[in-house]
Amino acid sequence: MREKIMGLREAVALIKDGDTVAIGGHTLRRHPMALIHEIIRQGRRDLQLQGWNNGIDMDMLIGAGCAASVETSYIGISAFGLALNFRRACERDGLKVIEHSETTGLDMFRATVMGMSFFPTKTPLGSDLMRVNEHLTEIACPFTGEPFAAVRAARPDVAIIHAHTADRYGNVQLDAQRWNDQSADVLIAKAARTTVASVEQIVSDEEVYRNSALTVLPRKFVAAVVEAPYGAHPCACDARYDYDLEETGKYYEASKSKGSFKAYLDTRVRGVADHMEYLERIGIERLMRLTRTRVAR
Amino acid sequence: MMTTDYTTEELMACAVSRELRDGELGFIGLGTGGRAFIYAVGIPSVAIELAHHRGVDFIAQYGVKLEPRIPEVPGCFTDANLLEWPCRAMILVEDCLDMFRRGMMDWGFVSGAQIDPYGNLNSVCIGDQKHPKVRLVGAIAQTDHCAQARHTMIIVPQERRVFVERVDFISGLGFGDGPGYRERYQHHGGGPGKVVTNLAVLGFHPQTKRMRVQSLHPGVTREQVEANTGFHLEIPDPIPTTPPPAPEEVELIRTRIDPRGVWLQAKVQ
Repeated sequence: MREKIMGLREAVALIKDGDTVAIGGHTLRRHPMALIHEIIRQGRRDLQLQGWNNGIDMDMLIGAGCAASVETSYIGISAFGLALNFRRACERDGLKVIEHSETTGLDMFRATVMGMSFFPTKTPLGSDLMRVNEHLTEIACPFTGEPFAAVRAARPDVAIIHAHTADRYGNVQLDAQRWNDQSADVLIAKAARTTVASVEQIVSDEEVYRNSALTVLPRKFVAAVVEAPYGAHPCACDARYDYDLEETGKYYEASKSKGSFKAYLDTRVRGVADHMEYLERIGIERLMRLTRTRVAR
Repeated sequence: MMTTDYTTEELMACAVSRELRDGELGFIGLGTGGRAFIYAVGIPSVAIELAHHRGVDFIAQYGVKLEPRIPEVPGCFTDANLLEWPCRAMILVEDCLDMFRRGMMDWGFVSGAQIDPYGNLNSVCIGDQKHPKVRLVGAIAQTDHCAQARHTMIIVPQERRVFVERVDFISGLGFGDGPGYRERYQHHGGGPGKVVTNLAVLGFHPQTKRMRVQSLHPGVTREQVEANTGFHLEIPDPIPTTPPPAPEEVELIRTRIDPRGVWLQAKVQ
């Protein structure tokens, strides 16, 4: 059986400049931040970002100059407010935004997962999403003539998600204790040509056999798994660890100007050799403070 | 002398609550902070719990989480606390959004950065979408609420920059440009139901589809509302007054529903 464990560098090398990259997670939860950091370290350019509900993940890539466009329903820094790199890029640099609502933002992945070239939905009809999003167009039901919007299927070159565990063959699992919004991650991952999952922990074959109901992505869907403990930091990771609001606040402050954001990236991303060094900089004390009781999976 | 022992937020929660009926289902987002949180999340939550106390069987859906115990909301919105907040169901996100699509959602509680006379909402951008003056967060579930919920309950602050003649981007469809606009698309949802603000309760004219004052909150004047609205509002004469909360309702809110001020004062750590 083919083993799929890769290092962060090797896995991110699967992403090429100009690729469409779909990112998992939602709001301030479980975005694949270790992978995002490595994309920035490797200096990827012109990425066409896709997602369902995004935040610091896309904002960081935009601020680092990696993104050519974004396609999602939300980019914000939760209770902190608007995503400031995203704001600046839209207001000053004309960043292209392909606007979705939560339904159509999921439908584009759902279509691909179901083997369809589009997904019919009523939601965006009559709104300005129809006017500005070239992946939406009005159609009529062939049986009743009722108007629908067709949402074009998304086929990302690469999907990156962060999950709880995987075995070495790429069977990716989520703990039972999780937000069910994370079902969007599964759709995003299944829609891509190449899926890279970072996980908190690589577990044994036996562990997967014992908890097979937790496997959300059978290995057929997965190209690479990367072990990255605290790989969603400063986002929350379900019942495993919580938001790091101190770090997010620091990020938010830094993102207020291009200059201070560059300095932030230098200390947290570009000037850091790898994920382990990033965790050292955050410090074990803080990480343990964020860690929740490891509930039964 | 009229009693003034209630806050505007308590009054708004009571006004929202009066619209809720037995057997209905309503969707509330969870997120944001400060006043936006009080309007989008706190007021509908207290309204629903008030309805529960009246014996109304109303189902609250917070995203994927159904029927959490509203008074037991965590005082600190850490992710783990929210995850452990007791609820009756945690459904998949696609199921959650499908409930809109199927027309099962009776009420969508929504907010926005801009609203126009036809109840169209905007949370995408101020200015042109391609070259915005201010880029906002995006459409999120606002589009879904506005198209598919049987009614929307729009809870926004009454200010000139919010109540504008024309929204810069329609991310949540109200009545579009007037009569007939929504009908063209055969949406499940009937469009904007009520708009509840810090000054008034507003509704929509059944023929013209334009927003109009239904009642002003006690002590609020016509001039005050006009000064805080960027378009012409039909105001009835005489102007009805929003019924103030009953003392028992205020008592319930302060002692049983929201004793820690999490919902109506955003006392969230």
